[in-house]
Amino acid sequence: MAIVEFKNFSWNYSGYRSKVLRNINLSINKGEFFGIIGGVGSGRTTFCSAIMGLVPHLYPGNIDGELIVDGLNTEKSSMSDLSTRVGLIMQSPDTQLTGAGMNVEEELSFGLENLGTPRKEMIKRVKKMIKLIGLESFKYRNPFELSGGQQQKVAIASVLIMQPEILVLDEPTAQLDPLGTTLVFNLIKKLARKGITIILNTQKIDYLAEFADRVAILNDNEIRKVGKTREVLTDINLLKKNRIISSDFTQLSNELINRKLYKGALCMTLNDAKEMISKVKRG
Amino acid sequence: MSEPVIKIKDLTFTYPAGVTALREINLEINKGEVLAVIGQNGSGKTTLVKHFNGLLKPSRGNVLVNNNNTKKFTTAQLSRTVGYVFQDPDDQIFMSKVYKEIEFGPKNLGLKGSELKRSVKEALEIVGLWDLRRKHPLDLNLNEKKLIAISSIIAMKPEVIILDEPTTGQDHHGVKKVESLINELSRNHTIIVISHNMDLVSRVASRVIVMYDSRILFQGTPKKVFVKNALLNKTYLKPPPIARLAQSIKGFKRDVLTIDEFIDELISNKSRSSKSH
Repeated sequence: MAIVEFKNFSWNYSGYRSKVLRNINLSINKGEFFGIIGGVGSGRTTFCSAIMGLVPHLYPGNIDGELIVDGLNTEKSSMSDLSTRVGLIMQSPDTQLTGAGMNVEEELSFGLENLGTPRKEMIKRVKKMIKLIGLESFKYRNPFELSGGQQQKVAIASVLIMQPEILVLDEPTAQLDPLGTTLVFNLIKKLARKGITIILNTQKIDYLAEFADRVAILNDNEIRKVGKTREVLTDINLLKKNRIISSDFTQLSNELINRKLYKGALCMTLNDAKEMISKVKRG
Repeated sequence: MSEPVIKIKDLTFTYPAGVTALREINLEINKGEVLAVIGQNGSGKTTLVKHFNGLLKPSRGNVLVNNNNTKKFTTAQLSRTVGYVFQDPDDQIFMSKVYKEIEFGPKNLGLKGSELKRSVKEALEIVGLWDLRRKHPLDLNLNEKKLIAISSIIAMKPEVIILDEPTTGQDHHGVKKVESLINELSRNHTIIVISHNMDLVSRVASRVIVMYDSRILFQGTPKKVFVKNALLNKTYLKPPPIARLAQSIKGFKRDVLTIDEFIDELISNKSRSSKSH
């Protein structure tokens, strides 16, 4: 069942000549883990903002076609209606954090307070979230005094605590260290297993390879390809045409095939590569 | 042995709010090296490099740039020697034309006329953006903005260039471009690069320092650093993908970092094991 449906959707920011999104037709299913990849300036961030309703409600411009999110037409629905269904995690924690809280605990409580969540429930959820994301050691610190990566963890927690049905993540780990990145991806995977729909825009195709059900390439403001993760991420020529570099494991397997050391499918993950090498060593 | 351009002696730094971000750092950075600084978020990487151009001054200990103590100089003076490219280009870019953005730094240093023009042209050509010189910097895409930020530092011809997370927010194309630019710049500059991108670090760095909990935990060439799994685990860092694959295979050399090295090792491993049978 589709939970997000772009129907011939186009978007033009006021004052710009060309469209940032052109004729997007795409259905994302309930409970799906959906990845978006593509070059900079391709419209990926606008794509994410549209699902949350920031486009058209926060930015002036023109929509053609429509975007239906959990039964709501984003153009005709209010952002507050959309915000009970969709959570958006942005690239930079500076844009995300409210600054309303003097410390991390208070920052996390902010959204729940606005929804009138009972105090007991609020304390329980804040505690759980602090543990889940690993914020214990700085829960009493001011969010704006934390390092970039620590701030991003707080920002992610502040969205997750609202328990959205659809979680849209726009390059959420761009500023995180490898541990933070792994932690966030494991967390996203856990949420996906609970049935939350995940829409993830990222450059880290290694992680999409491990986790995503389907991947779309959004390049030069248009959808270039939608397919199963393996189908898209091991199509070296397609990726190259879209200026995306395939994973080291895909490149390695391709090189081994070229040198006639390996016959078989292209690899995508570390496990694929381990299997390939044991075949090569036996053969 | 080349002469150190930056010497750090017993550097400790505590932020006004009371958080100690650096403890007893001792380090010498040599002319012409590409030094990568890695470590988890909050381990002190950015705080450390901000001492090199005087944005921060030591609470205890000293930082010497070409034997000048940073305590006695302003950031404006030190930036002739040490250029700092911020992580977010939007923190750095502020003029209305690319050309003017690049011109600002060298003009401020007193360059005029044909000398000024030449250094702006060179700085834009080396990043490949001379054709965009009449554009508004904020109309450029993220890859181009990053290159503009780097170019504006190059134009001041500093001996040392610090790149703080140069690949953040860059697409694959942008990462490749930054990588080739580091290689190009390293011929005439000392480069210090902070990065979470272990792939990039393994390919460009001549030396890697690993920061952990406000200290330098260990340092060495990428080949030496990326095989120290126990230490890397402690700092929550992981070797690049190909290194992890190589380390998981029995009988393989452990310090394999690139695809080419991996294939060479695979071929010699196969011939070794066929001989032993």
